[in-house]
Amino acid sequence: MGRCVLRLTALSLAVGLLLVLGGCGGSDADTPPPERAPTPDGPPIRLGTKNFTEQTILGELYRQALEAKGYDVVLKPDIGSSEIVHRALRRGALDMYPEYIGVLLSEVAQDTDRPPSDAAAYDAAKAFERRNGFTLLAQTPFADSNALAVKPGFARRHRVSTIADLRRLKGTVKIAALPEFATRFEGIKGLRKVYGLRHLTAVDAEGSARYSMLDGGEVDVASVFTSEGQLAGQDYVVLEDPRRVFASGHVAPVVDDDLLEAHGPGLQAAIDAVTRELTTAAMREMNGAVDLRKRRAATVAAEFLRARGLG
Amino acid sequence: MGALVLRRSLRTQITTKVVAISAAAAVLLGAALVVLIVAVTGQRDAARVAFRSQQALSLANQLEKSLLSIESGLNRYVTTKEEIFLRPVRRELALYPSRTERLTELVSDDPGQQSRARALAEQIAEYDDFWVQGLTEIVQEEGFDKARSQLRTDGGRSKLDTIRTEFSRLFDRERGVIEAREAKAEQRSARAIRLGVGGLALVIAVALGFTLYLRRSVLRPVRTVAEATGRLAAGDLSTRVPDQREDELGELARSFNSMADSLQRGRSELERSNAELTRSNSELEQFASVTSHDLQAPLTTISMYAELLERRRGANGGNGGAGELDLVEGIRGATQQARGLIRDLLEYSRAGRGQLTLEQVPAGRIVAQALEALAGAVEEAHAQVTVGELPVVLADRANLGRVFQNLIGNAVKFTGDRTPQVGIEAEREGEHWRFSIRDNGIGMNPEHARRIFEPFQRLHGEEDYPGTGIGLAVCERIIDQHGGSIWVSSTPGEGSVFHFTLPAAAPAGAQPPRVAVSA
Repeated sequence: MGRCVLRLTALSLAVGLLLVLGGCGGSDADTPPPERAPTPDGPPIRLGTKNFTEQTILGELYRQALEAKGYDVVLKPDIGSSEIVHRALRRGALDMYPEYIGVLLSEVAQDTDRPPSDAAAYDAAKAFERRNGFTLLAQTPFADSNALAVKPGFARRHRVSTIADLRRLKGTVKIAALPEFATRFEGIKGLRKVYGLRHLTAVDAEGSARYSMLDGGEVDVASVFTSEGQLAGQDYVVLEDPRRVFASGHVAPVVDDDLLEAHGPGLQAAIDAVTRELTTAAMREMNGAVDLRKRRAATVAAEFLRARGLG
Repeated sequence: MGALVLRRSLRTQITTKVVAISAAAAVLLGAALVVLIVAVTGQRDAARVAFRSQQALSLANQLEKSLLSIESGLNRYVTTKEEIFLRPVRRELALYPSRTERLTELVSDDPGQQSRARALAEQIAEYDDFWVQGLTEIVQEEGFDKARSQLRTDGGRSKLDTIRTEFSRLFDRERGVIEAREAKAEQRSARAIRLGVGGLALVIAVALGFTLYLRRSVLRPVRTVAEATGRLAAGDLSTRVPDQREDELGELARSFNSMADSLQRGRSELERSNAELTRSNSELEQFASVTSHDLQAPLTTISMYAELLERRRGANGGNGGAGELDLVEGIRGATQQARGLIRDLLEYSRAGRGQLTLEQVPAGRIVAQALEALAGAVEEAHAQVTVGELPVVLADRANLGRVFQNLIGNAVKFTGDRTPQVGIEAEREGEHWRFSIRDNGIGMNPEHARRIFEPFQRLHGEEDYPGTGIGLAVCERIIDQHGGSIWVSSTPGEGSVFHFTLPAAAPAGAQPPRVAVSA
């Protein structure tokens, strides 16, 4: 309180009364001041996300957590696929975005050597980003991998449990997938190359249409993401991927080195604090809240952060 | 108390009312004018805003269209691999910053629209930055197949959809603004017209009321007073006007009435004293006439006895001495003098009274008769009389003769040492003839020029110039009665000129000329 009065006295000549009152209201004598305003000047942090629900939630989580730490953040959601978003980052139109390790490795780094483990995939991706002037921060506990799913009946009928089993199917195998699946290594290309699946055809589908097409029998297989709410029950069977076409589903923020340098270790700590909390259960819960219960991503993210003392 | 007086004076004074009504009318007019000005200004502002909104709308339309052409150009480029389709995309994109900036300017009076325009600018920039550039890079780095699969994702389209949604919101809002402004302008102009018409009607009503008030409260009383003044001037001194009003017109009416009162009083006094004067005058004249007439008889008797006495004394051989004879002579002289005086007095009392017998009289003949009557005196004084051309005038022959006789007689009489030279002339002066009788006699001081026309006024002793001093008074009376005037101009020691005028036409009092017996 005494400090507040002092400040008020000192600033009242220069600053408008409202601003000063706002400063007083927000300032708590117990909170260390450096935590409050790490970006006093300079441009805001431009945080981008890809164009689907999980990414939207991740964007809100990082934005709100950073803003709670006093960073100035501009969220640019829904930009597009990894190919598009990473190019924006490379061009300097973005400062950071959360990326899936497997996609980063296969589609951005265009590394077709399959990593033996998640950790190996992470290291390879991190090394790639370092060469390009970016830092791949810590990855999430949760993994949201690309995967292929079939109906349980289909699996029983054709005795399919792994992707390799698809080779035994006669005729063309139709896969409902997002459009980019057709040209990705973590898609038709990789499946052909790694598993020798030559009779696959991608059918463009958006979002939950992949599941409904599968339900309706329009396609045999659906390209899915392992954290999707639809997979929680017994409605679908996710095929195993022993040869790791889908390299890793963990997420890690890719951050411009210049940004990290400008803001010091505080920024990385703030980002990592959020990443650490993102378990599979937590992510599945949030995805379900937005996708199935139609709640707003910002609200869901805020509740999550508040519960963990990050908001 | 003071407030009461003030209120009373405010209520009653016409000046106050006129000032108050004029002020009210001025205020009303001013208010109507202000309302009109405000309305016109409002209309102009509304028109300006509407114009800006239209501009903003058309610019936004243009932007949206060019966005579509960007999208289709990009799609064609990726699907056909034809570089040519990329050119319009780049051209349109290059134009965006200035266009969105202009749009932001155009909607600057609406904060919501402005932030929307800013957001649009930002989104378009992002669309360019993320999608258009990203896709072209993918084409260059990974080929058209990869890019085509990107096209099939909703990356670009969702961005465009967002932008279009934002555009349509901007359109809606701007159209809303235009409609609201138009409605408001419409409403305001309707209200302005109503107010203007109402104000005008009010002003006309005030002016009409003012006119009626002036007619009823000011003009009518003024006219009443004016008519009363006319009647007063025509002689009706009993005229009065109502004077109950408390204002200036009441004051005017009261002043008029008191003026009429005093005029009426004055006239009745005048009439009374006039009657008195007339009575005493006629009594006096009666007295003079009777007295002079009655005095003549004893004087004649005295004169006769004095002559008898003188004759008897001469028959007796003249004894008794020269002394007695002188006494008798004295009596006779005094008697004659008394008779002359009485005759003149009688003449004066008769002169100017009674009817004139007007006729066409040749003045030359009258002068000739007068000279004949004065022949003795003229001859005795060796006077030279020159008579100019004289006109025929409308006059009383006997009276005019008496005037000439008196004036020529005086000219011959008051000669001093010189040989008298007398000139008689006449000259036309407008409606009159002016006669002049000039002499070279002793003349007089100008200060006496008026006095000599009064009866029995003499400038010289009886012994120097004999006479009763009645002649000029008689002349004045006669000329007066003819409607003319008489005066003298003179230089002492050099001579005098007596002028008199006679109207060329007949004098008003004698019309029509008729023969009457003089009194």
